[in-house]
Amino acid sequence: MSLRDRAWFPVSYMFVLTLVLSTILIIFGTATRKRVEENETLAFERAVLEALSIELGAASAPGQIHRIYLSDIRAADETSASALMYIKGDSLHGYALPLEGPGFWAPIKGVIGIAPDRVTITGIAFYEQNETPGLGGEITRPSFRTQFAGKRITDAGRPLEIRSPSEPLDESSVHAITGATQTSIRLEKFMNERLAGWRDAMEAVR
Amino acid sequence: MMARKKTSDVVLTAIWGDNPVFRQILGICSALAVTNLVLNTMVMGAAVIFTTALSGLTVSLLRKHTPRIIRMMVEVLIVAFYVILFDQALKAYWPEMSRNLGPYVGLIITNCIIMGRAEAFANANPPGLSFIDGLASGIGYSIVLVSVAIVRELLGMGSLLGVAMPFFSSSLWDRWIIMVMPPGAFFTLAVIVWFARTAQKDREAEKKQGAK
Repeated sequence: MSLRDRAWFPVSYMFVLTLVLSTILIIFGTATRKRVEENETLAFERAVLEALSIELGAASAPGQIHRIYLSDIRAADETSASALMYIKGDSLHGYALPLEGPGFWAPIKGVIGIAPDRVTITGIAFYEQNETPGLGGEITRPSFRTQFAGKRITDAGRPLEIRSPSEPLDESSVHAITGATQTSIRLEKFMNERLAGWRDAMEAVR
Repeated sequence: MMARKKTSDVVLTAIWGDNPVFRQILGICSALAVTNLVLNTMVMGAAVIFTTALSGLTVSLLRKHTPRIIRMMVEVLIVAFYVILFDQALKAYWPEMSRNLGPYVGLIITNCIIMGRAEAFANANPPGLSFIDGLASGIGYSIVLVSVAIVRELLGMGSLLGVAMPFFSSSLWDRWIIMVMPPGAFFTLAVIVWFARTAQKDREAEKKQGAK
């Protein structure tokens, strides 16, 4: 009876092969883990800076973004109601409020920037989304995002509105993306819940 | 035992005569899901080429030692190994693309083309030839996917590889939103299969005529 015909052979064969291949994957995974984590942190930091319309200019190298983030962005405290603060010199230049909610396919994560007056939006950026490329995925494009800059959060009710592209705009509304109704509705919903919560919390701080 | 296959025959069969997508209708799920941007599709194609070629090679190297009763488990294990390797590399070195492709790279594990090649070819052929067969099958798959993507991105978004194309990006062209959505892939793929099969039929007919 040769080795191959024994009953334990297939089991041991599978075990050894799994062991070898898994070991390689674990080594590779460990070797790249730091990089993967850095990529995730960097995506978030970039979104914060973009939402605050901080001029990155040509110097948008990863190291540069991380440096600006470390020097100018402060963690949230009781005066900012869970929003990060943009502090340059000694004065407050803006708030960055992280957003998170369900999209059409998968969760959308982003950051919305608000000026020190607590009303004017400075910008919006997304660092994680899986919307349909070319439709909902367009929320990451400047053509959609630049609409937010300069808009004002209303005093009561829905802070901002995402309207159908055929409707006129006012100082608290932006146009949705054609063909991405579901993404727009969901984004509007969780963004407004977050902004309304923040508006009330900041009212209490004042 | 069949005669030793010629490399050029293997390549030609995999890319044209027995193309995985339009002849065997395999790997359709990813063909529908990731073909609305040419760049994403090219990376997806690269992932499949990488996996089919190397898993073909590995399955073939182990074919004489692998017990028959567990060979499919072994094949899945090998395929999964290469897919995870590619996915991890993408996450580390091209995070934007990794986010764009989402779960589809991981789903290559269940792509029938790869298991199909492992079962139908690599199990019974030498390593070098299996590697080439995998490579060519992957290329055959990618050619069809990229063709679908070119049609969809051009008609749906008016661009190619993200670059705006004249006419299609102007106001003269009313962008076909359906091309960006999944149904667009159904129509495009069906038309491509139709053309490819018509062309093949004509050639087959010619061959038969010649033989007579």
